[in-house]
Amino acid sequence: MVLHHATTAHASTTKHLLPLACVLGLALSSCALMPLRRQPAAPTGLGAESRQQPALSGDGRLLASLVERAGRTTVLLQERQSGRVLPLRHLRNRQPHSSPSLSWNGRYLAVVVQQGGRRQAVIEDRATGQQHPLFLPAGQEPQQLSLAPDGQSIALELIQSGSQRLQLFSLSAMLEPDRPPGLRESGGGPSAQP
Amino acid sequence: MRALSLLTATGTAGLLLMGCQGGLQPLPGLNQQLIRLGESQSPSLASDWLALIATRPGGRAQVQLIDRRRNAPVPLLGLNRPDSLPISVAVDHRGEHLAVVRQRDDRSELVLYRRSIQATQLVPIEPAGVPSRVTINADGRVLAVEVSRSGLWQVDLLELP
Repeated sequence: MVLHHATTAHASTTKHLLPLACVLGLALSSCALMPLRRQPAAPTGLGAESRQQPALSGDGRLLASLVERAGRTTVLLQERQSGRVLPLRHLRNRQPHSSPSLSWNGRYLAVVVQQGGRRQAVIEDRATGQQHPLFLPAGQEPQQLSLAPDGQSIALELIQSGSQRLQLFSLSAMLEPDRPPGLRESGGGPSAQP
Repeated sequence: MRALSLLTATGTAGLLLMGCQGGLQPLPGLNQQLIRLGESQSPSLASDWLALIATRPGGRAQVQLIDRRRNAPVPLLGLNRPDSLPISVAVDHRGEHLAVVRQRDDRSELVLYRRSIQATQLVPIEPAGVPSRVTINADGRVLAVEVSRSGLWQVDLLELP
């Protein structure tokens, strides 16, 4: 019900916004900027629930975001256009999840999970089903992360001596590249069962 | 003899540890550059670019874009303003589009910066809401924005033509 309402409301809003977008587009054309088209986030299947920390795959086909499942903050991976949920194998019971990040075709999902009493960055390879935990020196825990679209490097935001610092790491010895179509060396992972 | 055993054990432990961490190798050149920028947060990584928010000691938080091929920041003329504080930044694959959520005059706004023409475009949040985190896909054509609206966190998706 809520989903239907949300979709209808968006269609109506889009209809009304079109002329406005055109006017805005004309107004902006003088400075070579462009209008934007709005699309509602894919439904999560539970109506108007809270949704945070979005991450897009490099090709824009997939959307990862955080939702609440049984009171636990959980990463949800979906096709952006259809909302179809895609399976993740290794992240169950390791909530709260945070800071999801996707590679170009969505083969790799990097995310911060709870591992015992610590936060840990892990990468799930959706093509092989493998999980790659990223081990850091004692005392360092990741707060945020960003995976390069080709999956060959990662930026981790760490707390060190009370201050926030970014550190970059190469993953080329761990992951094969996930390149754009045409240069593809890897697949996009399995699809979910309906 | 005991020292030799200890040495062997240490070596074995070291090898095991290397095996665990084998795939994760720090990038020293870039990490040195990051140390020079001060406190840093909100990373957005592309193959050749790293966008982040950095705060030098005694300074204001600023959006920085690092060219990974040269390990050096590039200028972002007109993006960092003295009256605004960046909260979140995202960069596309070419380092051309930067999406930034920033706080200005006690409100949060989303802007899109095009580096080649040094132009900043305000992106309205509709229906009204408070943006807090933004991400952009690799070709710079889709934005996903975390928005607080009527007490609920939502994700808005915006497509560039």
